[in-house]
Amino acid sequence: MRLIVDNEPVTFNSGESVLIAMLRAGLQPTGGGCLCLGGDCPHCIATVDGVSYVRTCQVKALPGMIVERHHLAEYPPLPGVQGPGRGVEASNYQCDVVVIGAGEAGLAAVAEAEAEGKQVLLLDVGRGQEVVGIYSGPLVVARTAEAMWHVHAREEVIVATGAAEIQPVVPGSELAGLVTARSAVQLAEAGLDLGRVVAVGSPPEGVEAELVAGELVRFEGEQGRVTAVVLRDETDQERAYLCDTVSLGLGWHPRDALRRMGHDLPVRAVGSAARESDIPACPPEGVVCPCANVSVADLDFAWEQGFQEMELMKRATLAGTGTCQGSVCLPYLRSFLAQRGSELQPAFTARPVTRQLTMGEIAAGAHHQPVARTALDGEHHRLGAQMERSGGWWRPWHYGDVWSEYWAVREAVSIMDVSTLGKFIVSGPDALSFLERLYPTQVATIREGRSRYALLLDERGYVMDDGLICKESDTRYTLTFTSGGSSFAEMWLRDWASSWGMDVRILNQTYSLGAINVTGPLAQELLGRLGVRELPAYLGHKRLMVAGLPCHIFRLSFTGELSYELHHPAEHSVTLWRRLLAEGADLGIKPHGLDALLRLRLEKGHVIVGQDTDFDSTPRRIQHEWAVKLEKEFFIGRQAILRTNKIPLDKLLVGLEMSDNEPPYEGAVMQVNGEYAGFVTSSTYSPVLGKSVMLAWLHLIDGALAEEVVVDDRIARRVPVPFYDKEAGRARV
Amino acid sequence: MPVFKRLPATRIVAAPVALDEVVWPEEALVLRLAPDEVLVMPPLGSVPVGDPHAIIIAEGGFAGVWFTAAEALTFLECACEWEIPNERPAFAQGAVAGIATKIWLEEERVLFVVPAPYAHDFEERVGE
Repeated sequence: MRLIVDNEPVTFNSGESVLIAMLRAGLQPTGGGCLCLGGDCPHCIATVDGVSYVRTCQVKALPGMIVERHHLAEYPPLPGVQGPGRGVEASNYQCDVVVIGAGEAGLAAVAEAEAEGKQVLLLDVGRGQEVVGIYSGPLVVARTAEAMWHVHAREEVIVATGAAEIQPVVPGSELAGLVTARSAVQLAEAGLDLGRVVAVGSPPEGVEAELVAGELVRFEGEQGRVTAVVLRDETDQERAYLCDTVSLGLGWHPRDALRRMGHDLPVRAVGSAARESDIPACPPEGVVCPCANVSVADLDFAWEQGFQEMELMKRATLAGTGTCQGSVCLPYLRSFLAQRGSELQPAFTARPVTRQLTMGEIAAGAHHQPVARTALDGEHHRLGAQMERSGGWWRPWHYGDVWSEYWAVREAVSIMDVSTLGKFIVSGPDALSFLERLYPTQVATIREGRSRYALLLDERGYVMDDGLICKESDTRYTLTFTSGGSSFAEMWLRDWASSWGMDVRILNQTYSLGAINVTGPLAQELLGRLGVRELPAYLGHKRLMVAGLPCHIFRLSFTGELSYELHHPAEHSVTLWRRLLAEGADLGIKPHGLDALLRLRLEKGHVIVGQDTDFDSTPRRIQHEWAVKLEKEFFIGRQAILRTNKIPLDKLLVGLEMSDNEPPYEGAVMQVNGEYAGFVTSSTYSPVLGKSVMLAWLHLIDGALAEEVVVDDRIARRVPVPFYDKEAGRARV
Repeated sequence: MPVFKRLPATRIVAAPVALDEVVWPEEALVLRLAPDEVLVMPPLGSVPVGDPHAIIIAEGGFAGVWFTAAEALTFLECACEWEIPNERPAFAQGAVAGIATKIWLEEERVLFVVPAPYAHDFEERVGE
């Protein structure tokens, strides 16, 4: 059987690892370095079947497998653009105890836990389950051939991963022909010819080798391969031992990265993984971290710069952050810091993951945030709408001709799917006092069947959202919020109701109700055709039948024209939408999308929270002080507003206009006398006004607002809002 | 590929003690979404809840689909990070395939309920 290494066939025996096959063929995966055959060192990595950073000692060779070597001091090539990589599924499991490692200590831990009646899951790389990380939960993530396993431990995780052999750090440790004592045994058992073997430290059992003693000084070699190892004896004399292979038994340190990863989690190590690390002598020179190519000189430099603590040394030098995650360098970092300082410092914290993963493996089990669809989604597609994500929903941006949609609103009648608005009911004996605390407006003065615009403020007096408060009875109110704000609003309402101990019931019916805004000068006529009489007055609301369907009708206006929002059970949305379009056909009805709406509302100067407001927008800054009743004893944000009202105003959301019909883009910077003076938040050309209009954050200069600003190299004049229908006669007709 | 359908239901938010005392019709599937909230299918004609401030609405905002128990457990193994109850019947709720989901588990079948606006995404994720 043969696999392919760097385009050359290489023979292997059944059951052999890729590394053994390569070594038998005289190929060192990375060109050199001491091989451990335990999955610990970075010296056997290669690209296998298109996946880079594969530890070839851990992978069984298969016929036709394609292997490309990573050469020392080089990164593997980026994969070509060949489409998405392999998707990987996640499999979730639950158990009481997870044991990692099926060695003696691991099996003992399993037996002990099972004897206590616990449900145990044993994971072992030898069984094809390679644990790569432990996360809070604790959640253990393991790579398998079929899927990424996400194992949720109810009680604890036991790390029984054994110990790793200490690698050499001396000049020449990058040469080929260096192996740990344990790997020397494995290579010999696999039948590889190791040539003349010199054993430094603990000898490899069963391998014929020359045992030598002394302090390891350096390796010498030719053409990248070791030819001699030099040791210093008790008399301080150096002596070279000629060899083909050096077996290094330099000691052990716990393979405990997973335990260190589980800091503050119920994770413990047992067996060799829990042992104390052997601490090698601090090397005078050489590469300590082959993954990041960090030398003893680099450590010295970092030490001199003041990075004298383990975590700082790791960050300053990047030692321990590479392929092997500190398996080679950690004992030497500890010995270095102990020698330079006065104490042995603990090992650094480990972080997921311990192995290089593919994007598919990392993404296993992850899902993008879903985007909600209204009940009218199919209707929008049928009408050719261009859909956009907005506020967590798919919404029509336009239906092909934004200006015809715009004019339908201004001159005829139009409908818009506003099902996305947040819609809540608050009911209970404390409903009024709850809302009075929640909102800065006067709630007690809202009469039954009436509604009021309200801001929602946070404790700092900043605007978080806005919407309507609609009174249904003394103990029941309907609230609306922005499309993107409803989830937060629910949390906000429930949290405060609980904190204040309010006797209220709260229902978020955003997904339950559809909503269609019927707007334009012919809106009333259209609804009349659908059997609606006695529509609510401006800012009123009524429950009426429309086309035989139950609706809660809200009279308000965001477009600046006569408008009625029809809230209705979502299962009736399609029927209602089609009836409105059919009955309004001869009235010039057209649906409009967000693009038209944003222009229409801007002409009226209506603010969109999140677009025109910033994280620090107070009612004063957005010129909405009229919506705040400071005479109330309490509402969320009142104290902050009282305080910030004493601070001189520094910026204001203002209206600007320019005669140009090409408005500046939203976000455009404004200048006054060549200095930065703010930016545009919303802009549009207004056909009905014949000029461009904007909302913008304008900074006060010397306590005053400029009358004119330069934006996009053009002059814009500050004007009061609204820009359109200043008397509000059209909406209130 | 499962196809979600809107689930006609009655949704009630009321004082928990008042909900505790309601005797539901035997044929009704009553999902206790929260101490103060239940979803009842099919919709109830009248609701004898002893809370004058209870909010009771005809609910059409959820969509649902039945899976066989085997299909459901296979899917949940991949798409659900939290532990599914072992007893039957059982009700559980949480993120499944990244979507807020309510699950009613019977011996032979499992009902998945999601907000109707996310039914399309859920269908796609089941089919992946």
